[in-house]
Amino acid sequence: MKPLLRLIPYISRYRWQVVVGFVGFFLARFFEVSTYYLVALGIDGIGALIQDESLPYGLSILEIVVGIVCAVILRFIFVSRARRAFRRVGQLVSFDLREQLFSSVLRQGPAFFARIGVGDLMTRAIQDIALIQRLIAFGLIQVVIMVYAPLFGMTAMLFKSVSLTLLILPLLPVLYIYAQHVASQMAESSRVVQESLSELAAHTQENLSGIRTVQAQAQEENEIRRFFRTNNQYAEAFYEQARINSLMTAWTPWLTALAQLAIIIYGGHLVMIGELSVGDLIFFLACLNMLLQPIRMAGFFITMLARAKVGVVRLCEVFDAEPEITDRPTGSAPARIDGNFVFEGVSYTYPGAPTPALSDISLSISPGESIGIVGRVGSGKSTLLKLCTRMLDVSAGRLSLDSVPIQDFPLMQLRSQIAQVLQDPFLFGEPLGANISYDDPERELDRIWDAADSAALRDTVLNFPEQMETLVGERGVTLSGGQKQRATLARGLIRNAPVLILDDCFSAVDTETEEHILSRLKMLRAGLTTILVSHRVSTLRHTDRILVLEEGRLVESGSHEVLLASGGVYAELERLQTQGQGAAETEVTA
Amino acid sequence: MNVHVKGSQQSGARVPERDHAMFDAELSGAVLNFQLLTRILTWLVPYKLRLWASAALVLAASFAAVLMEVVISRVLVDYIIVGDTDSPMPDLGLIALTQLLEATFGLPGLYVAGGLFFVLMSLVGVLGHWHRLTLIDAIVRSLRDLRQDLFAHLESRPSSFYDRVPVGRIMTRVTNDIEALYEMLRGLGSLVGEFVPFFVALTIMLSTSVELTLILLMLVPIVGTATYFFRQATREIFRQVRNSVSSLNQYLQENLSGMQVVQLSQRQERNQAVYTKINAENLNQEFRSINLTTYYGAFNDSLASVGLGIIIYYGGGAVVQSEMSLGGVILFTRFMNMLFTPVVLLGEQLNVLFRAMASGERIFQALDWDEQIREPENPVQLPDRLEGRVEFRNVNFGYERDTPVLKDVSVMIEPGKKLAIVGPTGSGKSTLIRLLGRFYDFADGMIFLDGIDLQTISSRAVRKRIGVVLQDFHIFSGSILDNITLSDPGITRARAIAAAKTVNAHSFIAALPEGYDAPLVERGANLSQGQRQLLAFARVLAADPEILILDEATASIDTETEILIQDGLRHLMRGRTSILIAHRLQTIQEADHVLVLEQGVVREYGSHQALIEQGGLYKTLHDLQFQEIEKPSADVDNTL
Repeated sequence: MKPLLRLIPYISRYRWQVVVGFVGFFLARFFEVSTYYLVALGIDGIGALIQDESLPYGLSILEIVVGIVCAVILRFIFVSRARRAFRRVGQLVSFDLREQLFSSVLRQGPAFFARIGVGDLMTRAIQDIALIQRLIAFGLIQVVIMVYAPLFGMTAMLFKSVSLTLLILPLLPVLYIYAQHVASQMAESSRVVQESLSELAAHTQENLSGIRTVQAQAQEENEIRRFFRTNNQYAEAFYEQARINSLMTAWTPWLTALAQLAIIIYGGHLVMIGELSVGDLIFFLACLNMLLQPIRMAGFFITMLARAKVGVVRLCEVFDAEPEITDRPTGSAPARIDGNFVFEGVSYTYPGAPTPALSDISLSISPGESIGIVGRVGSGKSTLLKLCTRMLDVSAGRLSLDSVPIQDFPLMQLRSQIAQVLQDPFLFGEPLGANISYDDPERELDRIWDAADSAALRDTVLNFPEQMETLVGERGVTLSGGQKQRATLARGLIRNAPVLILDDCFSAVDTETEEHILSRLKMLRAGLTTILVSHRVSTLRHTDRILVLEEGRLVESGSHEVLLASGGVYAELERLQTQGQGAAETEVTA
Repeated sequence: MNVHVKGSQQSGARVPERDHAMFDAELSGAVLNFQLLTRILTWLVPYKLRLWASAALVLAASFAAVLMEVVISRVLVDYIIVGDTDSPMPDLGLIALTQLLEATFGLPGLYVAGGLFFVLMSLVGVLGHWHRLTLIDAIVRSLRDLRQDLFAHLESRPSSFYDRVPVGRIMTRVTNDIEALYEMLRGLGSLVGEFVPFFVALTIMLSTSVELTLILLMLVPIVGTATYFFRQATREIFRQVRNSVSSLNQYLQENLSGMQVVQLSQRQERNQAVYTKINAENLNQEFRSINLTTYYGAFNDSLASVGLGIIIYYGGGAVVQSEMSLGGVILFTRFMNMLFTPVVLLGEQLNVLFRAMASGERIFQALDWDEQIREPENPVQLPDRLEGRVEFRNVNFGYERDTPVLKDVSVMIEPGKKLAIVGPTGSGKSTLIRLLGRFYDFADGMIFLDGIDLQTISSRAVRKRIGVVLQDFHIFSGSILDNITLSDPGITRARAIAAAKTVNAHSFIAALPEGYDAPLVERGANLSQGQRQLLAFARVLAADPEILILDEATASIDTETEILIQDGLRHLMRGRTSILIAHRLQTIQEADHVLVLEQGVVREYGSHQALIEQGGLYKTLHDLQFQEIEKPSADVDNTL
């Protein structure tokens, strides 16, 4: 239960609400017991009326009834207040947890997201927080019941008859031990049900995502049979859980029957010898009921605790993750970046990877230069780019920008002057214009159109009914791969940043359009640093200098002509791309 | 149960357009739909014996529960303590039974009453338990069947359906929506379990005091009215809570997916502020709902106690006039819970019921979605082995009205020949092979398999003869062997291994600690891209189809594996008519013919060499597209 202790600081922020809840429930219990007491009094009053005796304490039936109604109203007020307080605390804590989760993930880098995927994080944000919220809102109420119900029940019983109370007292430990036992069984069966449910969901998801394969291979019948196994397994687990719960419901009152038996036989005897009244007997039965409340709750409570515990652990994993990149500006960094990157023996190894992704890279990029990078998938191109924007920090060696170690730049300043267009075009569920001007929502519309123009997107946008206001993303218009790439390209271009990094972002753009964009780019980026990753020689030749990466090493560097003349990897690539040789064969020789 | 609605009977040139957006629409379930309810109940029909047994058990258990209270009030209080035996109030013969037992065993009345109480209580426990078990058993089984039927139905929906409806939307129908139905049926079951004692108790109460019973029953409409107003008030609030939760999730999801962009654009603070605003709005809505629900809940469980006051007040007057005995009054107080629990529960169940209505609608919407491939009424039986001649004749096709994807495509592939299809993205390459696999209906033009009109063959028969290798190899969880055989009992282990050996997959499989029994996880995360491709080859080879369709992977693969793949592919294509959407130059060069598509039109057709010499579109594509050593994986098109 230790992880649950981490919730204490979150809850203690709202301790007054919690106090309100506890006090409220205390008073509510008091008035509930009072109701039973007054009803018992009423029954005795009626008994007295039958015998033509005077009523206890000289009260009238009407007075007793007014008392009952008052007690009920007071209980209503306190119980609704108390429940509200607890449930509010539950919501307030989830609010705080969500805020913290959001700010935590914003600080995380690629290694974190590789470890905990988006789907997983969403589950944590939705389900795990909901589990904690429920634990606080309803679990606290159960704690209250567990404390107050026996407390009030016992006190009230002792008040009426010590000997009768003592007689049924030994039964309680037996009951509580039994409840404990069943509760752990319930928690276990509920865990099994959860597991088979997620298996069922996984099976369905897997099958439906692969439905085309299933149908292409005419495997429907097999799949239906396979699904039945998972489906049936879940049904069985579910039934088993229901069986254990039902046993609990059946056995608990039966065990208490012994106590009731004691009340009927011994209590009845006490009434007959005049030590107790009939009302007291009925009161006893009501109080006994109260003693049993925690037992009925125990199973659900333990299940709830166990599940919330898992939720807390999973959330804390996110909260506790150290940001991979720390922002420690020294103040020595210039305000305006020129783009003079200098790599000195730079290496980078991904956490847990056996070999470095980049090793011993030394190079210098002059301000205003345009650089092309080429290399196979996994050769370290993207890693190199990530170092430039400090999405990653070098493992070894030195990387400086404008003669200052890159770590000395405030992240804000660094990233606002280096625009990077990613390989995977991602659009937010916002209007197209807001997506293009994502870094600055207040930018003028004209500038957005200019950027769209440079990215050869103008005609596409003009075709949309709402133009720049067209909603894109999951809930909006579906753009083609090429359109998405051009939109994200516009997002990079609009910033007119001193350094522009294009990570292979023409792959879905047809060659003609690419040529068009590249010529625009040459004009726009004159005098500014541009780094461009591509596989196509036809694209790379537009740059001042081409870097060839292989297995994390810089193997060639030079202009298109120089590299061609040197007859190395790049020249081979060029030969392939213009003369058409078998891809596989050349790779062997390469 | 015939849930598989028979094939769409439309004739004519085009499949009617369907509104797949329906799957996105938020179904309200605002009204009680009895038709829907009856339909859900049809799945319970096979388990009706259990249901009857369950009903009988609950009746018996309720009766015993009512008798328990009679023992306390009439036997213990009236007969034993007060000594009042001549009250006209009903005791269901329990006083007589007590007297009989007293006389027979010579036990004091208190012991007899205690014994009776104990026996009845045991009966309540045992009968109640069996009631719940039989009921839950019936519900769980029927919903398992419903889920199975739904799954089977979904398995046979065509690609045109899955093209437009996201998997997530369908998924929730199979999981969450059926869960909601469970909640509802279980709720209905417990309502029955509560209402039976309600009526038994009511009968006893009426025979004890009609007047008091009627007065107490007047509280019931109060609960009803409160429930009505509560529902009115909360419907809007609950909707807003749901909306705020979904915008909260949507915003988070989007930020997570686009995290790199967020960070590179330095939008963290701004986005945090936006999120806080959405979060606060959610909190606000949750608070509103809490305010209402806590009052409503407390109000409901206070009413029974008010009833106690009424009983005492009325009882005080009635005993004076000897209309009721003291036990009678106690009987009423003990019945209060039996009277109110079901009414309150009904109010709570209404919410579940309404929620379940929406779920039911969603489930049946999917179950009734009869979109399917047009199957011939009298399918032609294919010979045991096809020669493998494929012909497209004047095929026109479009996924949507007015946007043709294929225009008058004609091509003939002789048995055992290899055809490479090339063309820019969106030229209709994939569509062409999808039509051949009978994934879509087409009305304009014809496709022949060994001279047999494709549309006269059942889609299953076609697919058994056509092996498809897609760019992305879909892994089903299970062992490697399961993934090669796809649980086809006709494929032996030996045959699967032989297939794996032929396509060069054996060595990497054998190197795994568990070999062919090594478990694979979904999406095959523990296999490399190249290994998955080889496994896909093995899968097709094991099935031994006459015709091979290959959508060549565009992603780069390391050199060694690349050689293995090219070699494996050669083995796979041997003796098989092969249609390849090729991205690798080598694959294209090895094909017998190349078909160049552009915007759905056949531009060029001929051998690689001939087309190069021709110097047309193929030459251009050749210069621009295929020569690359690698293509970025972002461009992967894995839909068929």
